[in-house]
Amino acid sequence: MNSSSPEARIALVGHPNAGKTTLFNALTGQRQKVGNYSGVTVEKTSGEFFTPHGNRFELVDLPGCYSLSPNSPDEMVTRDVLLGVQEGEAIPDLVLCVLDASNLERHLNLLLQVIDLGYPVIAALNKIDQAEAQGLRLDPTALTETLGVPFVPLSALTEKGFVALKQSLRFPFPAPGDRHWHGSHAVEESLSSLEKVATEAGLEPPAAHALQLLSDPSYQDSDHLPEALREAAKKGPQLAGEISQVRGEFVHRAVEAGLRRPDEKALQLTDKIDAYALHRFWGWGFFSAIMLTVFWSIFRFAEIPMGLIEEAQGALGNWVGSFFAEGDFRDLLVDGVIGGVGAVVVFLPQILLLFFFISLLESSGYMARAAFLMDSVMSRVGLSGKSFLPLLSGYACAIPGIMATRSIPSAKERLATILILPWTSCTARLPVYLLLVPLLVSGTGAQTLTLFAIYALGTITALLAAKFLKPRLGPAEAPQFMLELPPYQKPDWGFILRQVWDRAFSFLKKAGTLILGISILLWFLETYPKSDSADPAAQREASFMGMAGKVIEPVVKPLGWDSRTGTAMLTSFAAREVFVSSLSISYAVDEEADGAEDKLRDRLASAKKPDGSPLFTPLAILSLLIFYIYALQCLPTTAVVKRETNSWKWALGQLGGMTLFAYLAALAVFQIGSLF
Amino acid sequence: MNSLALDLKRDSALTLSQAAVGCEFQIKQVEGSACRQLREIGFCEQMRVKKITHGRNMLCTVCGTRLALSKDLADQIQVVPA
Ligand SMILES: Nc1nc2c(ncn2[C@@H]2O[C@H](COP(=O)(O)OP(=O)(O)OP(=O)(O)O)[C@@H](O)[C@H]2O)c(=O)[nH]1
Ligand SMILES: [Mg+2]
Repeated sequence: MNSSSPEARIALVGHPNAGKTTLFNALTGQRQKVGNYSGVTVEKTSGEFFTPHGNRFELVDLPGCYSLSPNSPDEMVTRDVLLGVQEGEAIPDLVLCVLDASNLERHLNLLLQVIDLGYPVIAALNKIDQAEAQGLRLDPTALTETLGVPFVPLSALTEKGFVALKQSLRFPFPAPGDRHWHGSHAVEESLSSLEKVATEAGLEPPAAHALQLLSDPSYQDSDHLPEALREAAKKGPQLAGEISQVRGEFVHRAVEAGLRRPDEKALQLTDKIDAYALHRFWGWGFFSAIMLTVFWSIFRFAEIPMGLIEEAQGALGNWVGSFFAEGDFRDLLVDGVIGGVGAVVVFLPQILLLFFFISLLESSGYMARAAFLMDSVMSRVGLSGKSFLPLLSGYACAIPGIMATRSIPSAKERLATILILPWTSCTARLPVYLLLVPLLVSGTGAQTLTLFAIYALGTITALLAAKFLKPRLGPAEAPQFMLELPPYQKPDWGFILRQVWDRAFSFLKKAGTLILGISILLWFLETYPKSDSADPAAQREASFMGMAGKVIEPVVKPLGWDSRTGTAMLTSFAAREVFVSSLSISYAVDEEADGAEDKLRDRLASAKKPDGSPLFTPLAILSLLIFYIYALQCLPTTAVVKRETNSWKWALGQLGGMTLFAYLAALAVFQIGSLF
Repeated sequence: MNSLALDLKRDSALTLSQAAVGCEFQIKQVEGSACRQLREIGFCEQMRVKKITHGRNMLCTVCGTRLALSKDLADQIQVVPA
């Protein structure tokens, strides 16, 4: 035995939202994303854990699926891993099937399908706490007898039942059971003839492939299979419907043996909340109230920590400055490093607040309700409530949002969602908005509404773009919407805080590496080559940045921006936050007398054009905001779009199209606004 | 099957979208283009379902789980009063 590799691979399989990732995190100590809605995990992840017997196992978390006949790309991963046809992926030695004990009837069918594939299986009766609270009576012994696999009641959340779980995970693994049902003559006949073809083609295990081909028509198109087998399956009788019916009957008998559900009692809390949250009229009020609270808090509650960060930054600048004589090096440290990085870090509390609220929504169970409500809007533009979930994740960051589209069943809808997703404003834009909005309006109320309008504008344009794109992507499909609404749940504060902490850490890491590096570079470009003049304006013009500014000026002048804003916009293609650093550095070089302690916002407000009129007029700020709402300035997003759509055409088209649109929209706003 | 027999069959069962709000039903048959997905998510023959709201997307509970589904999907589910 090789001590460096785990002794066995265990795969977690179960319905969406059954608690697989919660269990995975609890066993491996990782912090993969958990949320109280379907389709959180869309990729395979793996980790390791030890049992009390000292065995080291690899645990593989898989996307949730309702059955082994996939409806969307994420579910396909699970099927392909179990059939051993996933590229570079060893076949699991054991499947830990995670079932939600509080609605076991619906979960047993998938368990049966996994058993049918011939795997050794352990069934985890998860959420046992919820099942008990609902007064459900489960009989694990009877279930074990009927289905022939061990049933372990547990709660992944409270870690109750973990000892029994780890006890059951020991060598030798339970022997794979036989198929529990017998189909009609036609079914059994087809199975054995397909098995023969699979054996001839050398496909392992042949019986599992035969069964999968017969019960899952989409598998007949899988490119992992030998041509002969696909042909045989397509030519033979199509009996998927019959198999699913036989399985259904078996599950019905198993449920009768092992589960007693109390008669429906009084309304649960979830029903009471939903009476409002899903109401045709109140539902929208509820939704808007949540959004407005989020934006209001971002302005209201972040003030204190932001003030502290600003003060600390000013003090740090003075303190560092006091060690060095006046000169370039001191300027580099104070203006370039502390000023440039600090200008972005100031917004950390507000970004974290937004993440906090998004995590709160995700773990409470409201996400599925929002998707339900939004479905009526989304269907008007050819999307469905399903695509609203990725769009909502897009408010945190476009990349996980694009990944989350893997749970959308329709390929066309998925593509349309990916293409419009960057228009839901991600948190990287937040520093730009938060710098500019207070320059435009004052007072928390007005600022909240302006921010709300910014997000609404991005989202509405995204939806209109979907309406435009969808018919051009292919023939129309019948709209279908089917979604599980999980019970509301008390947020897991520990998990949320740990997630917010992880975000803070990764943001600071970005500030300390990418943004720091760019800030230093920008400072050099602003400072060199040196001019003979002592006038800062003349110096700026002579610098590399000044030269670049001259080139960009004709392009951005029609938008109402000066050359410094233009170069700052260019640098923000490295990362949007850099726009703020870049402005901070450009406008620090300006008024040397009053020093850098002034807030960047005040420096911008007092910036003048050569003729003495204010530079950042409301119209210029508006045109800047419009540009940032629409511009796609995130190369990692383009890379992910390329990977997910498997096409450079879409990725580059999106990058170019959105940026061009941003420019034209900002141009229109400034030019039309200037007429009045 | 002649049309009279078809009509009779339809009379005894109604689709989930026609069913009344607030009542419990038993699923008689799931039939149509999405029948596999419907069965998988929980709308299986013999299961009990309670309808909560009408509408373009309706809401119902199956075995204690709340599920939302669009009208054309609900049309594929035939139920009888439980
Ligand atoms: N009450 C209770 N809730 C649980 C338990 N285990 C998980 N949950 C909750 O169930 C929800 C879903 O958990 P996840 O771990 O994200 O589910 P998943 O199976 O990974 O879901 P997908 O990734 O969408 O397939 C979360 O809100 C968890 O907090 C449990 O034992 N008891
Ligand atoms: Mg998961």
